[in-house]
Amino acid sequence: ANTLRLYLTCIRNTLEAAMCLQNFPCQEVERHNKPEVELKTSSELLLNPVLICRNEAEKCLVETSINSIRISLKVKQADELENILAKKFLRFLSMRAEAFQVLRRKPVQGYDISFLITNYHCEDMHKHKLIDFIVQFMEDIDKEISELKLSVNTRGRLVATEFLKQFI
Amino acid sequence: ALQSHQSDSHPCPLIVGVVLPRAKTTPEPLRFPTIITRAIIKGRRPWIPGGETMAFFNGGSRALVEILTRFQSAERPMPVDHTFFEFGSVRYHVQASASDPENVYLSISTPSLSHEASPSTGLPEFTLQEATKMYHKFAEVVEPSKEGYALTLKLNFSGLARPKDRARAVRQVSLLQSVILGSQLKHLLGSLGSSGATKLVYNHRDPFFVSRTPGKISAIFPMRFRDDTDLAVATSFFQELQDAGSSYARAPRCSWSAIPPPELRGEPVHHLTTNGGFVSFDIFERHVKRKRAAKTAWILLNFQAYVKYHIKCTRNYIQSRMRKRQETLAEVILNARLRGGDEKKKLQGNFTRKLLLSTQTEFRKAVDTITSLILICYEKEIAGCD
Repeated sequence: ANTLRLYLTCIRNTLEAAMCLQNFPCQEVERHNKPEVELKTSSELLLNPVLICRNEAEKCLVETSINSIRISLKVKQADELENILAKKFLRFLSMRAEAFQVLRRKPVQGYDISFLITNYHCEDMHKHKLIDFIVQFMEDIDKEISELKLSVNTRGRLVATEFLKQFI
Repeated sequence: ALQSHQSDSHPCPLIVGVVLPRAKTTPEPLRFPTIITRAIIKGRRPWIPGGETMAFFNGGSRALVEILTRFQSAERPMPVDHTFFEFGSVRYHVQASASDPENVYLSISTPSLSHEASPSTGLPEFTLQEATKMYHKFAEVVEPSKEGYALTLKLNFSGLARPKDRARAVRQVSLLQSVILGSQLKHLLGSLGSSGATKLVYNHRDPFFVSRTPGKISAIFPMRFRDDTDLAVATSFFQELQDAGSSYARAPRCSWSAIPPPELRGEPVHHLTTNGGFVSFDIFERHVKRKRAAKTAWILLNFQAYVKYHIKCTRNYIQSRMRKRQETLAEVILNARLRGGDEKKKLQGNFTRKLLLSTQTEFRKAVDTITSLILICYEKEIAGCD
């Protein structure tokens, strides 16, 4: 729990520093406004990406640009069941990305889930609440996957018990 | 959910062996999940939040018990002609006439248990003898059986005076399918001799193996799954089954292994290729003593279906939990908006649609109201001018 707190605090501080976004029209195409962190065409508009690792399995990549920020998360998956549950759950959320607005439909390669926050989101939402959402999202994902795994095992145990009771 | 149709009031002939008129309409076969739902244990709920109940496979047909009980408790004789399905492949037909209320004809068509997947044919002689032995007090086997059915029994409960005896007899009759399967399994095991292994197929499902050694019989199920999620859930279940087996000494010992057990040495490779491993049950004499043989056979023959049902329920549970968590998280991001709470609802997909629809309806109502007011004013003006 201690390492989790430190990990989340580090991510929170990084996001607070990185989330200074402003409107910046595309330099290459007239009347276009694109998130520069996705295109990566102009190096002067990009900041250095920050990688925060809790351990080998869990990490968070924060890529910032002048008008957008991309946050990619790799979630802990201890065994095959957690792997399946995490993949299933995060895919479920990604498919419903419009409900979350800042969620990316496809995660960045090497990561399990990604967020894309643009200057428009910062104009529509409170910055500190946006950061709270990201942090709470990370906590809830871990909690949900652990609870799902526990539930699956418990259900299996109960069902196995009921099956064997039929013989008695 | 039981659908049945009574025939018209044609008197049924009393002669044994004549093909009786079929029901005018055959109901939709009751699908597998429906039967499982109807077999839910009432009152038993696991501690898991959500309170889903679990199903188990009862050897007896509850629909048959209901029909026969209702027929017996009817105040006056009434004609009965029911055809219904269970588990998608077992078909029952119950027929009785008002002019002969004491005799009820019960026919059953069930997939057989054999070495290869083959269409079901008539029942072998030893099965008919087993049925005769089981039900000789109140039933006799009708030969030939009704067309399209493997076995027809003529039931007569008039010899059983006490209602308790009749109820017990009805319950025994409901176990007809498990009796048939039990006798087939017994015969197949007998043909193995004192030791050996053989492959069996039930109802065109995945084959399983039965191995006989002195003192025990092992039922080995090769498990195959199409999906990674199914595989993960099933593997967790098999490990729990193995662990729980040690707590119940009276239940058959269960073991799971990823590789084929030694009893299956020599079997063709394509039968032993699985992704879910092999689940083995060791059956000893105490599990098949007296009347337990039919019940044990029934439970084991439905093991693969039981696993699939557990996986299906688990997936549903996971889906509902994910949906709830998604709604919780979506509320957090909506609360982050700068504007007030009413407009937050516009952003959620479902709420947007509903809000737009309600807004359109209200707008139309307002337009209608204004139009009617204008018309009233116009009419008043015209009336005033006149």
